[in-house]
Amino acid sequence: MSPHQSALELWPASASAVAVETDYLILAFTVLTLVLTVPVFLGITYFAIRYRDGVEADRDTSGLRSNLIEISWMLIPFLLTLIFFAWGARLFIISKNPPADTMVIEAIGRQWMWKFQHPTGQSEINDLHLPVGQPIKIRIISQDVIHALYLPALRVQMAALPDRYTELWFKADRTGTFRLYCSEYCGSDHSVMDGNLTLMTQSDYQHWLTHSGAQITAVAAGRAIYNAYGCGACHDARAQVKAPKLAGLFGRPVKLADGRTVTADENYLREKILNPNGNRLAEGYKQIMPSFAGVIPADDLGRLIDYLKADTQTADGEATR
Amino acid sequence: MSGTSAIESGFAEREPHIPEPTLDRPIDYLHAQSTLRSWFLATDHKRIAILYLASITAFFIIGAVAAGIVRLALVVPDGAILTNDTYNKAFTIHGVVMVWFFLIPSIPATFGNFLIPLMIGAKDLAFPKLNLTSWYIFMAGALFTMVSVVLGGVDTGWTFYAPLSTAFSNSWVLPALIGVTIVGFSSILTGLNFVVTIHTMRTPGMTWFRLPIFVWAHYATSLIFLLATPVITTALILLILERAFHIGVFDPAYGGDPVLFQHLFWFYSHPAVYIMVLPGMGVISEIVPAFAQKKLFGYRFVAYASIGLASVTFFVWGHHMFVNGQSDLASLAFSALSFAVAVPSAVKVYNWTATIHKGRIRLDTPMLYAMGYIGLFVLGGLTGLYLATLAINQHIHATYFVVAHFHYIMVGGTVLAFLGGLHFWWPKFTGRMYNEAWGRISALFIFIGFNVTFFPQFILGYLGMPRRYGTYPPEFQLLNVLSSAGATILAAGYLFPMVYLLYSLWFGRRAPANPWDAKGLEWETASPPPPHNFLSLPEVPRVPYDYPIQERESGRQHT
Amino acid sequence: MSREAEPPMAPGVGVARVEHFATVEQQRHAAVLGIWAWLVTELLLFSALFLVALVLRLQHPEAVKAAALHLKFWIGAVNTVVLICSSLTMSMAIAFSRMGWQRAMVRAMLATAALGSLFLVLKGYEYYADYEEHMMPFLALRPYALAETPASRLFVNLYYVATSLHGLHLFTGISILLGMTWMAAKPGFLARHQNWIEVYGLYWHFIDLIWILAFPILYVVNR
Repeated sequence: MSPHQSALELWPASASAVAVETDYLILAFTVLTLVLTVPVFLGITYFAIRYRDGVEADRDTSGLRSNLIEISWMLIPFLLTLIFFAWGARLFIISKNPPADTMVIEAIGRQWMWKFQHPTGQSEINDLHLPVGQPIKIRIISQDVIHALYLPALRVQMAALPDRYTELWFKADRTGTFRLYCSEYCGSDHSVMDGNLTLMTQSDYQHWLTHSGAQITAVAAGRAIYNAYGCGACHDARAQVKAPKLAGLFGRPVKLADGRTVTADENYLREKILNPNGNRLAEGYKQIMPSFAGVIPADDLGRLIDYLKADTQTADGEATR
Repeated sequence: MSGTSAIESGFAEREPHIPEPTLDRPIDYLHAQSTLRSWFLATDHKRIAILYLASITAFFIIGAVAAGIVRLALVVPDGAILTNDTYNKAFTIHGVVMVWFFLIPSIPATFGNFLIPLMIGAKDLAFPKLNLTSWYIFMAGALFTMVSVVLGGVDTGWTFYAPLSTAFSNSWVLPALIGVTIVGFSSILTGLNFVVTIHTMRTPGMTWFRLPIFVWAHYATSLIFLLATPVITTALILLILERAFHIGVFDPAYGGDPVLFQHLFWFYSHPAVYIMVLPGMGVISEIVPAFAQKKLFGYRFVAYASIGLASVTFFVWGHHMFVNGQSDLASLAFSALSFAVAVPSAVKVYNWTATIHKGRIRLDTPMLYAMGYIGLFVLGGLTGLYLATLAINQHIHATYFVVAHFHYIMVGGTVLAFLGGLHFWWPKFTGRMYNEAWGRISALFIFIGFNVTFFPQFILGYLGMPRRYGTYPPEFQLLNVLSSAGATILAAGYLFPMVYLLYSLWFGRRAPANPWDAKGLEWETASPPPPHNFLSLPEVPRVPYDYPIQERESGRQHT
Repeated sequence: MSREAEPPMAPGVGVARVEHFATVEQQRHAAVLGIWAWLVTELLLFSALFLVALVLRLQHPEAVKAAALHLKFWIGAVNTVVLICSSLTMSMAIAFSRMGWQRAMVRAMLATAALGSLFLVLKGYEYYADYEEHMMPFLALRPYALAETPASRLFVNLYYVATSLHGLHLFTGISILLGMTWMAAKPGFLARHQNWIEVYGLYWHFIDLIWILAFPILYVVNR
């Protein structure tokens, strides 16, 4: 399920009252911009033609009081735009003061994936399922560099800082699937640190939490981790590096360099990820993989192995993303 | 036009044995000496300006090629053309080179260097050797940055945010950082030279309010060079030490604060926007009156505005951090101050529009650029206000809207002013006229190409496409392809001047001292000027911009 | 714009005009304004550093205090006195230059350079004592003594950045001073370049000023 839009779209979908009002704000601001700029465009074009060299024209300037003009064309636009400052500030203050009955989602950014945890304990990678009609507060933190969680349909974003929590809140009122992004440049795979925000009714959300929530997303989460740690750069079917292809590996016998043959079970995979320099080198390969011990947390490792297991069923197709 | 119509083979015939300089045939600064050594050890501000012009043109080409690579990669949404890492390096090189090695030195170091002494009636800048040193420092910084590019590139973005740049990036960050730090000293020394020159070297009679706006704008710019650059130097030194020795200033594990770097960075880099914008305003304020043959409307206002903008711009840096966990009160204050600085700068375009009103307009190449500037700059300025509006910022921060906005300011503003100024003063710099028809065609190409490239990016940003994305959702492809198509038109527009301007150096018509009937001391000496600028001390006009058409100043009783 | 009155000069003391200046007056004025502009820039460079140190002090008062107690207060205090004395000798050099007493001026300049070098020697000894105490957290091979308070490490690092940047300025200053002394000892120097001494004096006082700011901010406030 992905948020499909037509080829050319000129207005972004909005999913909350604040988003709709932000749209009104920007539309009104655009009207003001046109009021302030179109006269300039028309003016310079008209004057350039009307008063061009060699054309007879009245060039007798009329004794304009230039100070008065100067001050007025500085002050009037300034005062007009101040309306928009106040309007924007009002919306901003609303967005900074969540109501008391919010539901709190924990979000953790790391290179290059998002982890979300629901209040009931279920967690997701990159995708986020949320109910509408309920104020939701997302508490954000980063494990490494600065990221930012950006939900365009709700017209909000907030930085994920490594040393302290930041927050954003919203109350969605429209169901559907929308994009979510990392909007603060965070290194190599910044542009794939994105996912889907699925807004659903309260009952659908409860259903999702109890049924699909944990299971369906486990494999997707594992795939996100597989991508986030860059496993595919060496282990994908199309990778340049000479490394064992992992699609369909689980459960198969592996011939080792020292002549033994072992089965690629969970423990074998776990051992190979955490300690690739052990004595279990597969035959025909060089020892070039770095150790991920202390790099990959235990829960991520579990999801990754789940993904590699599931990948056996779908075989090669999946591994190429 | 020189009297002899025979084509002279420029450099060859102009060896030392030349008759006594006279007004119609002086020894000009280009031919006074011709050895390579006389160029690389030149202390003449005009020659140093030419050195700068050559170097920043080279950097412009490097930055433009990187931009071309970026636009090429974005033709497809799935990153099939470039890997993410290569894409990140391409946009970083584009940003670093364009900001630090083209935009910031562009107008001040070339036109400012060449023209300030001419405009105020001085023989040179106050410290000619220091001026040459600035150029060498600039080239040393450039060398470091190029080393980083050649070794494999940087992938941190031109903003070098910690901790990505200090602890996480595996690219050649250190040489690039060292290069950018060094270049800062070149800016400081140039600014220092300008401030001292404008204060002390004005010819008798050249009072402050007889200075052209170009000089005022450079005075304001130089103050920013002096007062803001040292802060980024410190920030960058700390960043270098953090990356090399992990001293911990920006590392939360040791009680440091990564956001502190952003504060120090934007304390310089927001004023740096005005380093790029103010000189451009100065250029336009020279071109528009000359091609309208009319006094600049509201001279004193524009002069004061330059200084005012340079001051207020030091207090708005926080508007780059509305969504970075800054306190809400600080965000409100920074938003309000940003409105206070943006509106007066954007409405300066009304002054130029009013100058065109009832003028005697000639639509030569420099004027076309100036008119393009007026249109694009006002759009860039007002879209900046969208970003300063807190609620809108929460949506379009770090999206393509920002990219479009600052390209309207920096390309629509600074680059157009640079090209306009280059065409306006080309006869003065080189003593040759370029082909006018080609000039107009390329101005048109650049205007159209620019808008096709960057206007779609406003829409992309509002639709929610984040910047610095090497891959993007497929629904954004059409607008991205449009943008890339525009970039090819823009590239053609940039290529033309490089060809016909170079061609004019050897085959162009000889330029008279004042080809545009413009006012200002630089037009009262020969084209190109003699080594010490004036053969006899110029007379200072009673008022600046004493063009045939004058606004009747009923406001005079107030002043 | 008011130009400051010229200090009284002995006969035979003055400045030779460089070609691109219209008058000697203009040349002097440009030199003084130039050095002031440079010093403002330098002051801002250090201010940003001091600002970071003060922010750190506000954020982690305990850790900063613990680290600052290990700084060698008395060496810093003695060094402050040494630099103030050197400013005095530099002022004397300027006064002698105006009076045309070339030999006395050269001696005062040498005394200034000697005091500056004394500062560097004492500073070097201080660094050595820090090294002995395992107070150099950037050295990977020497475990940092105050590792239990992480922010103290940051403060100590900033102390090195600030003091070594100051030391670098002082070292440059001494080198320029010695070079200039060598030239100033030649006959005719004061007739052509008297203003070099004045301009250089401003730079020397500035180096002194930076230390007078750094000493309380790093050593005293945190005690």
